[in-house]
Amino acid sequence: MFRKILIANRGEIAVRVIRALREMGIGAVAVYSDADRTSLHVRMADEAEHVGPAPSGESYLRIDRILDAARKHGAEAIHPGYGFLSENAEFAAACEDAGLVFIGPSAASIRAMGSKTEARQNAVSAGTPVVPGTDHGVNLEEARAFGRSHGYPILLKAVAGGGGKGMRSVLREAELEPAFRNAASEAERAFRSPEIYVEKLIERPRHIEVQLLGDRQGNMVHLGERECSIQRRHQKVVEESPSPLVALHPEMRQAMGEAAIRVARAAGYYNAGTVEFLVDQERRFYFLEMNTRLQVEHPVTELVTGLDLVKLQIEIAAGARLPFAQEQIAWRGSAIECRIYAEDPYNDFLPSPGKITRLHRPLGPGIRLDGCVYAGWTVPLEYDPLLAKLAVWGGTREEATARMLRALREYDIGGIRTNLGFFRQILEDEEFRAGRLHTGFIEGFFARHRPPVPPPGLAAVAALAAALDHMTSAAPPPPVSSGARPWLAAGREELLR
Amino acid sequence: MKLQLTINGAEDEIEILAPAPACQFRWGGAERAASVEMAEPGVYSILLEGHSYDARVERTARALVVVIDGYRFEIDVRDPRRWSHKGRGRAGEGVETLVAPMPGKVVRVLVAPGDVVEAGQGILVVEAMKMQNELKASRAGRVAAVHASEGATVAAGEALATIG
Repeated sequence: MFRKILIANRGEIAVRVIRALREMGIGAVAVYSDADRTSLHVRMADEAEHVGPAPSGESYLRIDRILDAARKHGAEAIHPGYGFLSENAEFAAACEDAGLVFIGPSAASIRAMGSKTEARQNAVSAGTPVVPGTDHGVNLEEARAFGRSHGYPILLKAVAGGGGKGMRSVLREAELEPAFRNAASEAERAFRSPEIYVEKLIERPRHIEVQLLGDRQGNMVHLGERECSIQRRHQKVVEESPSPLVALHPEMRQAMGEAAIRVARAAGYYNAGTVEFLVDQERRFYFLEMNTRLQVEHPVTELVTGLDLVKLQIEIAAGARLPFAQEQIAWRGSAIECRIYAEDPYNDFLPSPGKITRLHRPLGPGIRLDGCVYAGWTVPLEYDPLLAKLAVWGGTREEATARMLRALREYDIGGIRTNLGFFRQILEDEEFRAGRLHTGFIEGFFARHRPPVPPPGLAAVAALAAALDHMTSAAPPPPVSSGARPWLAAGREELLR
Repeated sequence: MKLQLTINGAEDEIEILAPAPACQFRWGGAERAASVEMAEPGVYSILLEGHSYDARVERTARALVVVIDGYRFEIDVRDPRRWSHKGRGRAGEGVETLVAPMPGKVVRVLVAPGDVVEAGQGILVVEAMKMQNELKASRAGRVAAVHASEGATVAAGEALATIG
């Protein structure tokens, strides 16, 4: 086993890895940029090395500086976390060249899954369904033939494209000809190529992914699914396991699990990885992509399986065999995770960095909190504003939902805006309760949802608090002490005027 | 003492008759009693008519923010005996000071001192967490001063430009 590991990351995931290392008795080396000198991962680590200025391109993404830090501190392996260099094949190869173990899959697997077309080919050859499409440019007649054989709606996309340019959804054949012409001319203008390919449009899809774990000896298991359909700006915000859909149709878990393993095996995959699927309304699933790293939402899988994915990643990287077979994996209860961000959900999710003035964390049964926040810490402007992942476990989905609502109510982060209140509204939403999820859930939620109205009577309490606070505003901030009430004295003075 | 309040945009009034902890106050025409203790800095534990509330109070650049049970109240408190609060921040008259709504970095300054600007015209672009936000003038006028330069890091509430 390793004696010392460097974590090439920051924020909550660096803290998560440090916790695993400490439990394993392995030394933890943190790296940090100018913006992170007082961040929690630096404070919690055994050793820390500065790797550059705040912009990640000059610090956390600098392969040379990360490797220098590992050598200087005598680390034997590097955990990349997620994001930054975690899916960078060049980095994985550079680690191995430097005699350091990269805690993840091989550079070749990362490369194979990093290319959309190669990953799709892999899936097709592994017999895993992909969203039906032509994969190459077509003319109008070929597009018509595709629509007839696969059924409408279909999606027209620019071969050279991206960002929605040259993209058209076509609901019926009558709309095809004008849509095709528009898409082609838009593609021509945007990318100087009018080439269009066709894909089946999956309406109201669910995003369901399968967690995989494989060792370097060729053993591989799946740890079940996570449903991550609730997304804003294509980023997941609520994740759960089991998926409410799979809970109703348990045979899906095995079918998706086996399909995911086939895709990963085709790429010679080992260590932890996740295969993402789109699931349509008829419960057919289609390969989307494979993430060749630990996922942000891994805690929900850990809660229902009782496994520690980070420790298993490290053991596998050290050469250990998987300590269990597929049939030994059991799932128990229900887990939900909310990603707590410094942002204002009622103002177009505008980021809200700043200093955390107050912090009260939820505690008690079934709560897990993975965060990087402390009172007095200033959320840096330079990075993703993820503050913490609040995860709960319950015997049933209903219990987990009630527990999450209870935890959200206890959670208080002062000084910045967060999406804590937004999650309370989502978890009380009828569609969420019924498990009717799809990737357009948040748009639909905003369309049917009205901002919460405080119960009558609460305004009186707020007014009283504001009035009393106002009367003390001239006085310096009161010290924490049960006996002393400087604001009270100030209030008395006011009353005497 | 009587205080005038604007709570989430609505006008109201409260009169504090006896101070905390055994607080007496008049609200909505009725006299009421509450037990009030500051349990933690900025957090008031309030017992009112048998119910328990934690009111979390924060001072922002614009107003007091009180959060109870996740419900947010933006409250402007005015003492009617003090004239200094009256008429501040009204659009369309006097001097407008543009302040940073959140901490960030000034990526572009779109005007120079002396420029004549229209209401709604962009004055500066502030970036926070990879998102750019254009700050606009709420009234027409002449730019009296620009207090921040491109590349500067600014705090929430910091004055960025003055329009006279």
